[in-house]
Amino acid sequence: MTFRCKRRHWPALLLACLLLGAMSASARGAAELPAGDSLAMEWLERLGPALNMTSYRGVFIYARGDQVHSMRIAHRYKNGRVEERLVMQDGGNGEIVRKGMDVVCVLPDRGRVRLDEVIPSGPFAEAFSSQLVPVGRWYRPTLAGQDRVAGYDVAIVSLEARDSHRYSHRLWLEKETGLLVKSQVRGPGEEVLEHFQFTDLEITGDISDDELEIRSQGREIKRKLDHGEPRASAVARMNGWTLDWQPEGFVPAAAPRSGKGKAVAFSDGLAAFSVFVEPMGRLKMPSGASRVGATTIFLREVSVNERPFLIAVVGEIPPATARKVADSVRIDERLALEWVGS
Amino acid sequence: MDERLRETLSSMMDDEADELSVRRLLSHSDQHDVRGQWQRWQQIRDLMHEQHSPASAIDVAAGVRAALDGRPESRSEKTSVAEAGRSAWRWPVAAMVAVALVVGFGAGAGWDGDALPGSRDIASNDAVPALSLPVAEQQVGLQELDDAQLQQMRQFLLEHAQHNSVGAGRGSVGYARLVSAGNHY
Repeated sequence: MTFRCKRRHWPALLLACLLLGAMSASARGAAELPAGDSLAMEWLERLGPALNMTSYRGVFIYARGDQVHSMRIAHRYKNGRVEERLVMQDGGNGEIVRKGMDVVCVLPDRGRVRLDEVIPSGPFAEAFSSQLVPVGRWYRPTLAGQDRVAGYDVAIVSLEARDSHRYSHRLWLEKETGLLVKSQVRGPGEEVLEHFQFTDLEITGDISDDELEIRSQGREIKRKLDHGEPRASAVARMNGWTLDWQPEGFVPAAAPRSGKGKAVAFSDGLAAFSVFVEPMGRLKMPSGASRVGATTIFLREVSVNERPFLIAVVGEIPPATARKVADSVRIDERLALEWVGS
Repeated sequence: MDERLRETLSSMMDDEADELSVRRLLSHSDQHDVRGQWQRWQQIRDLMHEQHSPASAIDVAAGVRAALDGRPESRSEKTSVAEAGRSAWRWPVAAMVAVALVVGFGAGAGWDGDALPGSRDIASNDAVPALSLPVAEQQVGLQELDDAQLQQMRQFLLEHAQHNSVGAGRGSVGYARLVSAGNHY
């Protein structure tokens, strides 16, 4: 009796379940992943671990605007620790060696640029990964085909921006390991703004210790990645300024110490921008936007309590977005006073 | 949101708000706006204090209201669980509406693009000047900058690249941006 009763309800139940399932799937699918592109998402999930846990050596090029650079890299994942060495292949001969959280840069002094600023100096390594950013909400992931890069078979994942606040990205991932071997940042007209690609690559577990040793002569600068100096947490609340608007999906990802000002970096999981707020010194900067490849710098001068401040938004975002962010910075009067005093 | 509410919100962050102004804030007509501002500030503050909390989406208003009314927290939790249960049953209706909306918009857009690639080009051509025109009005040409200004630009580029070189998890791309910024401009 009970059995029959259950059985009679089964079809209805089943139908309800199917409907529910279908609806939730299509709701999710339509809102985040167009049908069939969960595969692209799976590729993306492999990307993070692959970047660190694959061992390889090779040469890659990086181009933005009219600049092209090439670098040689050896990367090893051993006993749970990332070790890598990057050697610049053109311009001055510099190198960056990283062992776990220790980074050593050897860079030729180029005179005008203070190169010790080049070193990743903050507790940034974990900052981004601790934010579980749902990339699929801001980018439409699709598997865009297959190809061969630097001798390896790759899957192409396209991440099309869902709004005009960000650029689209295209990633080429090696099929066995998921290693990123090529990437592009693309503007709204599909033009390539930034290009990264391995031209020579060997994915191998056989990377010897001396491939990871510093060999250049020059000024060495050492930093640890994980511990920043303790921040004065009370340094004017919220760093002395706030954003009234930020493109959806971008969350504060790192609060780096800037030279004299106060900066915060924001990321949506793929792209990032930094906001600098500094009292305008003797050096006057022009207002407006400037672009290098996918990177926009937007500068704006504002006055708070008759004190001039420079707001700079720098990031891999369209000029219009950078401008909107810069326009929405609100500087605390308290901060203005603090800076007058200092 | 007016200046007074903003002030209340910011003193709430410092634990200095008085009850009256908090009540006023909670009765503000645009709670979405209030919550958004709170979350943005909270995110930044968490970061400053290095407390990464996944709680950014939690509705603070309900908790604060409960505390003001002297209700124990557990009770508000219970109600929210019950509400969650109820809303799960109501959800399919909402989902259906959402599906209808998305299909309505999505299908149209996709179909346009596929069937008429030409029209899509025109559309995007239209969009580009609209997007970049106001900015182009005040392009900063690099050749117009003097050495000191150029160096300041480079400094910004560097620091930005540095923020997300290792951190962004993009590995080599991050390093490349870094080196590119450090080199000539």
